Amino acid sequence: MRPFLDYLHSSVTPGEYGSYLWAVIYILIIFAVASVAVMLMTWLERKILAHMQVRLGPMRVGPHGLLQPIADALKLLTKEDILPDEADKVVFWFAPVWVMMIAFLNYVVLPFGRTHAVTDMNIGILFVLGVSSLSVLGVIMAGWSSNSHYPLMGALRSSAQMVSYEVAMGLAIVSAVLMTSLNSTGTGTLSMIGIVEAQKAAGRWYIFSMFPLGLIAFLIFAIAMIAETNRAPFDLPEAESELVAGFHTEYSGFRWSLFFLAEYAAMIGISSVAVTLWLGGYLRPFPNLLSGHSWDLAFSLFPGLIFAGMALMCLIGAARMPKIPQMKVQTIGLWLFGGVIALIAVVLFLPGVRERVQDIFWFAAKVAAFMYLYIWYRGTFPRYRFDQLMKLGWKVLLPVSLAVLILTALVGIRQDLSTVLMGVLR
Amino acid sequence: MSVAPLLRKIFLVDLIKGLSVTFRSQHPDELITEQYPLERPWIAERYRGQPRMAVNPDTGESLCNGCGACALACPEKLITVTSDRDPVTKKKYMTSYTYDVSRCMFCGLCQESCPTDCIELSQDYEMALYSREGMTLDRVRLEKGPEPTEYAR
Repeated sequence: MRPFLDYLHSSVTPGEYGSYLWAVIYILIIFAVASVAVMLMTWLERKILAHMQVRLGPMRVGPHGLLQPIADALKLLTKEDILPDEADKVVFWFAPVWVMMIAFLNYVVLPFGRTHAVTDMNIGILFVLGVSSLSVLGVIMAGWSSNSHYPLMGALRSSAQMVSYEVAMGLAIVSAVLMTSLNSTGTGTLSMIGIVEAQKAAGRWYIFSMFPLGLIAFLIFAIAMIAETNRAPFDLPEAESELVAGFHTEYSGFRWSLFFLAEYAAMIGISSVAVTLWLGGYLRPFPNLLSGHSWDLAFSLFPGLIFAGMALMCLIGAARMPKIPQMKVQTIGLWLFGGVIALIAVVLFLPGVRERVQDIFWFAAKVAAFMYLYIWYRGTFPRYRFDQLMKLGWKVLLPVSLAVLILTALVGIRQDLSTVLMGVLR
Repeated sequence: MSVAPLLRKIFLVDLIKGLSVTFRSQHPDELITEQYPLERPWIAERYRGQPRMAVNPDTGESLCNGCGACALACPEKLITVTSDRDPVTKKKYMTSYTYDVSRCMFCGLCQESCPTDCIELSQDYEMALYSREGMTLDRVRLEKGPEPTEYAR
C-alpha cells in the first residue's frame, strides 16, 4: 500500500515508476475521459456545424441540446445489430473492435503532462506512427467482410489514401524529431515526453523554430492528419453522397458506434501528436517571452479562472431561466452543473493541484483548438476528388516534406558544415 | 503560371477566405431557424385559414341570420345551413350550421357573400388531423374559433 500511495508524491509517469496498478488506473481514466470527450465532440460538431450553416442544431434534449449525445448513445445501443447474410462473420465482428483498439492504443504514449502519461516509451513517436498505420487494416477488414459494393469501394479508397498520406506525415514527423537533436549533446529523442522537454529546453515550440521550416512541417502534418483520420475534406472513404457511408455502410447499432467512437478517438489522438510535436505539448504558452515566477503563477491560475468563468455563466443562465413548471428540471440541472463546475474551479485553485494539473489543461486546450479546426474544415471545404487527393499527397506534400527534412538537416548542421567548407577551401 | 495566382495557391488564400466566411456566419444574429411550436411565424392579415363565425360580443348571440348566402356561394357545397322562422317576430334565424373543411380550398367566397360579416376565414393554420372525422365543423366549434395548440418543452 505504501509504494502505491507514494507514487502521488513522485514526479514520473506510472510506467517509469514501475507501478502496474497506477498504469491501469491511468488507462481507465484516459479511456473514460476520451469517451466523454468523444460524446462532447459529437455535440460540439453538430452545434458548430449547424451555426456555420446558419442553423440552430440540437436544441431539445437539455439546455441547447447538451444531453443530445446521451440520447444518441441510447438510440445506438438499443438499435438492432444487423449482421449481413453473406458477410464474413468473424472478420465483420472483429473489424470495429480492431479499429477501436488501435485508436485507443495511441493514448498509451500521449503525454498529457510531465507525469500524466501511462508510460514514457523511448520510441514513443515511432510507436504512434506504427499503431496509427494499423488502423487502415481494420477499415479494409470492415469493407471486405461486408461483402457489398460500397464498403469495398470505401475500403479501397481508404487504404490508398491512408498509405499515401502516411509517407508525408512520417517525413514531417522526422523533421520534428530532427529538431530535438539540435542541442549541445547532439542526441535527439523519440520519446513523446522527451520531445516536449526538448522544446522546453529550447525555449520555443517547434512550430516557431527555424522559421518557416517548423511551420511548414507542421502544416504538412496538419493536412496529412486530416486525410489520415478520414475527415472532410478528405472523407472519401465515407463520402456520404457517393458511397452511402463507405466502409461502415453495412454496420448498424453498437458496431457502428464503435467505428464512430474510434474515428473521434483517432482524431483526438492524432491532434495530441501534432500538439506534442509542434505546439509544445503540455507546456504553457510563451515559455520564453513571458518567463519568470510571477508569469508562472499567472498562467497556473488560468485553468481555475476559466472554470470559474464557466461556472458563473451556468449560474447566471440558471438564474435567468424562465420560471415556468416545464423548465423546472432543466433549471435545477443547470444549478447543479454550475455548482459542480464551481467546485472544480475551487479545486483547481489549490496550490498542490494547480501545479500538477495545469499542464493537462494546456494540453487539452491545444487539442480542443485542433478539434475546432476539424469541424471548421468540415463546415467549409468541399470534398476532394480522388485523383486530386492523390495528386496533393504524392506531388505536393511528399516533395515539400522531403525538402523541409533536408533543409532542416542542413540548417541544423550549418556550424559543422561551414567549418568543413572552410577546411576544404583552405 | 504568373506569380500572383501561384502565391495565392501557396498561401492558401482562397481556403482562408472560405474559412473566414464560415467563421463569421456562426454569429447568433445570422441564425434563421424558427423554433416553430415555441415561436410562431407572423401571419398576414389577409391570410385565409380555418373558418370561424362571429358572435355579438355584447349578447353572445350569433350574427348569422340564416340567410344561406354562404351555402349558395360555396363552389364546393361544403356549407349546410338550416333555418327556421320565429313565430313571433316573423324573422328567419339559423338553427344549425356545418362547415366541411376537408375539401375547402379557402377561396373566401362565403366570407364575401355574408351580409352580416358572420362567417370569416381566420388566420389559424393548424388544422391537420389524423382522420376526416373531425373535419366537419359544427356551429359550436366555429363560434369558438381557432384554438392554437400550446406546446410545452
